[in-house]
Amino acid sequence: MEEKKPFVKVPASGYIVLVVAIVIFSGLLAKVHGWNMLDFNTLNGAFGTMKTAKANFIGAGGVGARAGFLFALSLVPGVMLALGLMEIVEHYGGLKAAQKLLTPILRPLMGIPGICVVALVSSLQSTDAGAGMTKNLRANKDITLHELLIFAAFQFTAGGVIGNYLASGSALFGVMTVPIVVPLVVMMVMKLFGSTVMRLYCWKFVKEEK
Amino acid sequence: MTEPNTAAIAAEKKDSIMDVFVRGALKGWDIGIKNIVPNVIMAFVCIQMLTVTGAMAWLGKVFAPIMALWGLPGEAIMVLMGALMSMGGAVGVAMSLVADGKLDGNAVAIVMPAIYLMGSKIQYLGRFLGTAGVPTKYWGFMLGLSIVNAGIAMFIMKIIVH
Repeated sequence: MEEKKPFVKVPASGYIVLVVAIVIFSGLLAKVHGWNMLDFNTLNGAFGTMKTAKANFIGAGGVGARAGFLFALSLVPGVMLALGLMEIVEHYGGLKAAQKLLTPILRPLMGIPGICVVALVSSLQSTDAGAGMTKNLRANKDITLHELLIFAAFQFTAGGVIGNYLASGSALFGVMTVPIVVPLVVMMVMKLFGSTVMRLYCWKFVKEEK
Repeated sequence: MTEPNTAAIAAEKKDSIMDVFVRGALKGWDIGIKNIVPNVIMAFVCIQMLTVTGAMAWLGKVFAPIMALWGLPGEAIMVLMGALMSMGGAVGVAMSLVADGKLDGNAVAIVMPAIYLMGSKIQYLGRFLGTAGVPTKYWGFMLGLSIVNAGIAMFIMKIIVH
């Protein structure tokens, strides 16, 4: 069966920013002297401490709303850095490059048509963008009930995963003992796993409507 | 080439990579101030209430055997319960447990994917499944799937960490 593929023109810069972004957020070069200028945690840096003190401006032993406020403020630079980088990725066509690379593998991998790829890439950034586009695909009869359920199961678990992970998760990047990219890969694998379970469930229990 | 087109290209060219970064960073500031700060304060206040009433210690003890399956201390249940409500809140809870020395870097790595896989599910029922037009009779299955995903992800992370 011939499938209509969404036509996307990807500038070379798209592939470049995509690769650079993956390198920066993966922590691949974290320990390579000089090259660690392409590492998120290196770029994020560290707060200094008061002279002779051990803790940074958050201090030690704080509790309650006041401690929460100072702590939350300390997270803001990381979030600004992450979203600044993501904006560059988007501006120079990195998302389009990801879209192009994903299109041919969508049907075998998830059992949904290539037309879903824009919604899929958007859904990794924003749950709401994904929800809106998916609704649209169904309303235009581009996807069947089965495909809607499979696609929704993929998006629902860890919704807006890249956007959310980089925004709030960046607070914990400095603490956790694995590279930034590891939890992200695990989440992507589990999203695929979820959609596969839904695919089996549909095939077994859900009647496709005519 | 028509004139408006040239103008549009010129306008786009004017945005240097620095301008683009600054635009994104500004979005980060908005998220930080409007989202992270209130969420983290909410989480810290909840934890403070649980701590002074002794409920925290109790929850830690009760859930210790279950959370031990994933090599986590009992208090980690607070992160997961918080996650169902809000991802940002769960991160706040995790951070306050780190500050108290109850979670270490390995434990954070283990719960990290779970925070998002089962995160904000309560609000996403309406915000995502409702908006996307998924019939309500499948909502329960989707919710269960998310929680199972989170459980499996913690096992995977446990293996990776150790």
